[in-house]
Amino acid sequence: MKKTVHLFFVLLLAVTLSAVLAACGGTAEPTQPPAAPADTPVPPADTPVPPPPAEPVTLIVGFDIQASSSMDPHQMFELAGAMADYAAYEPLVKITAQDFSTPVPWLAESWDISADGLTYTFHLRPGVTFSSGNPLTAEDVRFSWMRLKNKQGPPSWFMGWVADVQVMDDLTVNVILHDPSPGFIMVATAPYLGIMDSKVVQEHGGSADEDSATTDTATPWLDQNSAGSGPFILTSFTPKSEVVLEANPTYWGEKAKADRIILKHVEDPTTALQMLQRGDLDLLPRLDPDLVEEAKADPNLQVDVLETLDITYMNMTCDPTLSVPLSDVRVRQAILLALDRDGLIQSGLRGYALKPPSILPLGLAGVEESMIQPRDVERAKALLKEAGYENGFTEKFYYPARPLFDLVGAKIKNDLAEVGINVELQPTDYSVLVSMTWGEHTAPWVIGNWYPDYIDYTIYTDYWGYASHDWGANMRCEVPPELEAATDIISHGLDSAERLQAVKDWQAIMLDFAYGTTLYQANELIAMRKEVTGFGYIPVVYTEWGQLGR
Amino acid sequence: MGIASHIVRRLLLIFPMLIGVTLAIFVVSHLVPADPLAVILDQKAMSNPEQRQAAIDKWGLDSSLPEQYLRYVLNLARGDLGVSFRSKRPVAQDLREYLPATIELAFSALAFALLAGLPLGILAALYSGRWVDHLARVISLLGASMPPFWSGLMALYVFYFRLQVLPGPGRISSRMVMPETTTGLLVVDSLLARNGAALSSALSHLVLPAVILGWFSLALIARITRASLLEVLGMDYIRTAHAKGLYARQVIVVHALRNALIPTVTILGLEVSWLLAGSIMTETIFAWPGIGKYAVDAARTLDIPALMGTALVIAVVFMLSSLLVDILYAVIDPRIVEV
Repeated sequence: MKKTVHLFFVLLLAVTLSAVLAACGGTAEPTQPPAAPADTPVPPADTPVPPPPAEPVTLIVGFDIQASSSMDPHQMFELAGAMADYAAYEPLVKITAQDFSTPVPWLAESWDISADGLTYTFHLRPGVTFSSGNPLTAEDVRFSWMRLKNKQGPPSWFMGWVADVQVMDDLTVNVILHDPSPGFIMVATAPYLGIMDSKVVQEHGGSADEDSATTDTATPWLDQNSAGSGPFILTSFTPKSEVVLEANPTYWGEKAKADRIILKHVEDPTTALQMLQRGDLDLLPRLDPDLVEEAKADPNLQVDVLETLDITYMNMTCDPTLSVPLSDVRVRQAILLALDRDGLIQSGLRGYALKPPSILPLGLAGVEESMIQPRDVERAKALLKEAGYENGFTEKFYYPARPLFDLVGAKIKNDLAEVGINVELQPTDYSVLVSMTWGEHTAPWVIGNWYPDYIDYTIYTDYWGYASHDWGANMRCEVPPELEAATDIISHGLDSAERLQAVKDWQAIMLDFAYGTTLYQANELIAMRKEVTGFGYIPVVYTEWGQLGR
Repeated sequence: MGIASHIVRRLLLIFPMLIGVTLAIFVVSHLVPADPLAVILDQKAMSNPEQRQAAIDKWGLDSSLPEQYLRYVLNLARGDLGVSFRSKRPVAQDLREYLPATIELAFSALAFALLAGLPLGILAALYSGRWVDHLARVISLLGASMPPFWSGLMALYVFYFRLQVLPGPGRISSRMVMPETTTGLLVVDSLLARNGAALSSALSHLVLPAVILGWFSLALIARITRASLLEVLGMDYIRTAHAKGLYARQVIVVHALRNALIPTVTILGLEVSWLLAGSIMTETIFAWPGIGKYAVDAARTLDIPALMGTALVIAVVFMLSSLLVDILYAVIDPRIVEV
């Protein structure tokens, strides 16, 4: 009897194991086409054999796309969506990897700016067609930009400069600005200002009318399709999973080198690198600095260290009701002087970051390393003594609850302990921190990341330079009039030399007023398979997808 | 009381319980010291008064909290779960996209836990104190003590990266054309599309996350089955059954297991809800687009409509699985319904 029981349960276990193993069995991914059947006729030896059709080139890019919820360029505002849309929608003017501070003609072959700086006339390139086959017209530009404005989606603020868009003829469009804005031409390079095929979008419920916030119904269609003139067409978007782009067969310019690009969602950095090493990914942007050495050691991979315009900033209040010590400019200056930013970059980012002088990042004209303020603990102590804080003080320091910022916070706490300041670290949830800093303005001392959405000073200077009001990096500071004056020149000045001088002045004033600074300007670290070609980094849009190949 | 009226009574209880769940989440969400506008708008838009006012008007955030809740409940009665602050899409649409992935993973994990845990528990009880029992204990201990974020990473490192016998994260190979979406369950959709390659890829992608997620449940099932069966095997009626000359298989399967499985069934009911809601780490590591991750992201970013929608789904699943457990009790032991 015991034997029977034994046999029964051994069989049960065997069945279970085989079920589990069967599930494990089907691991081979069919990456090769099936072999020809045995009875396939073989051509005679002297018949010219046509070359086999080239294997379609699919490039898979590992990226955290969890923030992507829409691919409608007027309904999304995050990097993965911007990257994908940039492949499908093209702007009037572009920036290139070679020189990302100078706009080059693209859908507009030229443009004129009126003497008062208020009217931009774009002359569209003839012969450009959308993926639908429809020709590009001035009406498409008007429709795209007015939809961006009136849909009131997250990127609608890009139209804050624009008073009107007027169609002059089929290939000429006038853009009227509220104020002279020399940075506007760079705003026009942003992926959210890419031009849509108005006819196709309207066929799917799109509207650029004033009430389009409530009447436009094209977003669900634009989440799964695109209506642009770019080298790729969006063919599917699965949130938190992948974005698929197929080469546009009727592209008006140089055809894309890859047939398909997939943005695949990956979150864990270690696993993402393993996927790249195994060949399941071809490119891995935003490589974790801790994994760079491992990636470099792999003979199948190449790692590029690139300079970005992304900053991690630190802001301090000037309002004594939020913090009496920080409201004293000498204390804020002392904190900036006491920070060991080199040590921070080494310990937190393994050295993969730059140290700009102030809020403006290195890489923009007029931002020079010579302006960097070296660490000076003795001077910091003297300033604290002068302000009446010889014995230090205690203050709360808020930062987003993320592992990297834990390191940054710990380093700042250590540095400032040297001058007697006791930093109380407050790791804070994202929504709470954004409410405190950008809504209620109740955080006395914060850090955060700032990514440019177009490449011009104003994406930094407007937020830190006009911060006296209910706007920008409001730390309840009445910013000095000279800072506002310099910000005005940067935003509206039409004289290039005067503007460049204002940029230098702006940084000096920011260092002196010391309510905001850049802790570091992180490098972009990208690992890719050695066989990948054509990669060139462009801030904001990441790369020119049509150039990527294998 | 008959089983039918028992089921009806339990089903009717679901509605007041759902109202309670939504009310609790609504109240707790509004206790968090954060402004929902921060989620709706980017930090750049947050500093733009015009965009802030437009968002307040659009999302009705200027009305009082009772008004907001009442509006939510009235919309819910019409089957409208609202629009997610973050994704700006209907919550129902988000859930339709994420729920099938979680269901597929949770039920695979449950199947693994049952298929492996039940025999393991039974063997451990039958061979108590011998090597099978010790092995079961080690497996259970590992399952109960290893956090999924660690075991998941280790499993990927060993089976995906080093041995290369199993695929990596995701639900299907990226180089493969996805089968047409019918149910959202990739395995089912591949079958419906008669796409063998997609089916194979989807199944193989399920193995690691299902094993990692199901291991904890396996441990629980094995230990409870063992303890319960050991207790039952020592009872008089089992000795009587043996004395009557019944085959050992008959005694164990027909008499002992029937009673011993009641605690296991209770655990199973709880595990279904746990596997659906608690798969966050597994979903993160295996890039699995499910509602566990969706729920945590919603909580982290104070996306109240998404949070309430997810909680509703999980509450319904929890209640239905509890109901199923009750029905199973009645099937296993009809005396329970008669009480």
